[in-house]
Amino acid sequence: MEINNLTIGKFHEGLLKKQFSAFEATEAFFNRIGEKDGEIGAYLRLTKDLAFSQAKKADADIAEGKKTGILAGVPLAIKDNILIEGEPATAASKILANYRAAYDATAVKKLKDGGAVFLGKTNMDEFAMGSSTENSAFKITKNPRDLERVPGGSSGGSAAAVAADMCVAALGSDTGGSIRQPAGFCGVVGLKPTYGSVSRHGLIAMASSLDQIGTLTKTVEDASILFKAIAGKDEMDATSVNYQSQVDYRPENVKKLKIGLPKEYFIEGTDKNVLAAINGAIENLKSLKMEFKEISLPRTKYALSCYYIIMPAEVSANLARFDGIRYSRITNHESRIMNLMDSYLKNRGEGFGKEVKRRIILGTFVLSSGYYDAYYAKAQKVRRLIKEDFDRAFEDVDAILTPVSPTTAFKIGEKTDDPLAMYLSDIFTIPVNLAGLPALSLPAKTDGLPVGFQLIGKPFREADILGIGRFFEESGRKS
Amino acid sequence: MPTPIDEKTLKRLEELARIEIKSDAENKLLKDLQKILEYFEELKTIDTENVEPMAGGTVETNVFREDKPSDKRQTASDRLIEQFPEKENGFLKVPAVFENNNE
Repeated sequence: MEINNLTIGKFHEGLLKKQFSAFEATEAFFNRIGEKDGEIGAYLRLTKDLAFSQAKKADADIAEGKKTGILAGVPLAIKDNILIEGEPATAASKILANYRAAYDATAVKKLKDGGAVFLGKTNMDEFAMGSSTENSAFKITKNPRDLERVPGGSSGGSAAAVAADMCVAALGSDTGGSIRQPAGFCGVVGLKPTYGSVSRHGLIAMASSLDQIGTLTKTVEDASILFKAIAGKDEMDATSVNYQSQVDYRPENVKKLKIGLPKEYFIEGTDKNVLAAINGAIENLKSLKMEFKEISLPRTKYALSCYYIIMPAEVSANLARFDGIRYSRITNHESRIMNLMDSYLKNRGEGFGKEVKRRIILGTFVLSSGYYDAYYAKAQKVRRLIKEDFDRAFEDVDAILTPVSPTTAFKIGEKTDDPLAMYLSDIFTIPVNLAGLPALSLPAKTDGLPVGFQLIGKPFREADILGIGRFFEESGRKS
Repeated sequence: MPTPIDEKTLKRLEELARIEIKSDAENKLLKDLQKILEYFEELKTIDTENVEPMAGGTVETNVFREDKPSDKRQTASDRLIEQFPEKENGFLKVPAVFENNNE
């Protein structure tokens, strides 16, 4: 039996029916990684010892007849900015090259408690800054659907690992689209939960008011399972919220939901193939009797500017802790006499990559005296207006459908010299983070280069978007 | 309108951010930043009079916890100290803050 392409549900079934053991499954995944990852480069590091000990534990629990949860023995990949105790966590940066996590991220701890198996840490743009995984300090990752193209980013390694069957599912993080865009580019399902629904404790912070841990999976059903496992209030993250995540799937409830189509997201400049695929998905949902309504989110066009002020501002503060003293040291102090200031300048200058430096400098600028009001304070006000657009729209509709990205996966190297062009690839995903909303990215079509469509939900209503997504997914399976 | 970042400002920002940019990379960085700031100009066209700034994504206010040490945190900080590149008696060792004047 082919183990590698199983969903979480099918994996669980196979495990309980003793079609394979967790140990055998883990071996099968490492074999698959051995065969495929040389050309794809999804993983930065494999955590074999940990994986096999977790698998043995799952097998022992099953043998003893202990209650076995749905995630028992399920091989997962974890983005490298999420901490697994005792394992390296570099966030794909040289400045953390020698760092080993001192504790488990809360999401990781919850998955461990559920009996999951961690295969390894996946590649990403350095500190999650990028849209192509080309900003990793260690290597690039290729899109499994077309090796000349990027997998998207920053969770490109996680998306590629799921797409190439090198794990059952993966965790990623999403600050401006870093789960949804790579999911769209690689043809998998990506969920960015509501801000506060999943603890950020143990996620290496990029922009704290925007960051969110989420999932990359093969199906919407798997996204629901994994989301349920990691969601919940955590005393280690004061912004996490206690709410009952009702993600049980009820098709009869889904049919009552009304979907909004914001005209600002169906604009000129979006690739024809993308539009065609999105329209196909809309037609499909209409044929399932889903009701649609045209809506307007008038401040959409300001979201990119707003985001590229607020995010770098938070980045410049969060990354101040990487001083070349507490974590990895980049320059050799013995080689020359250096005072503390020189040490900072050199370590940070050499330890961070180009994009990270660009954002820290930009963030320092928008927060600096004389410019704070014109940029940072202004952006915070615009952020409020963007959120109010969504609030107003959600008075009329239950979910909003848009493209995930204006194009399909672009060629490796195509946008590396032009930061603004790279930033523009996130225009449809960024507003969601500014407003703190949940959003799901799922494949609109299955042939050719993948195209994703995005379902945006009301705060803490993951159930709605997961429900519509699953309804769409299951209709496709039947037809 | 003239862009607010010039070479002098960039030098100052490098100092503030504690990041040395190699001189051959400064020009490109400056151009990139100018282009990005030019893009931000569009924000001037949006009226934000009487709009309350939105500081974060959270819906929570005043989240408290008991102020007591936890073993879990102690273990984590011990592990962090273990990893300091240079340490002395459990303290982080850093280069001199001031110049050496005993020349």
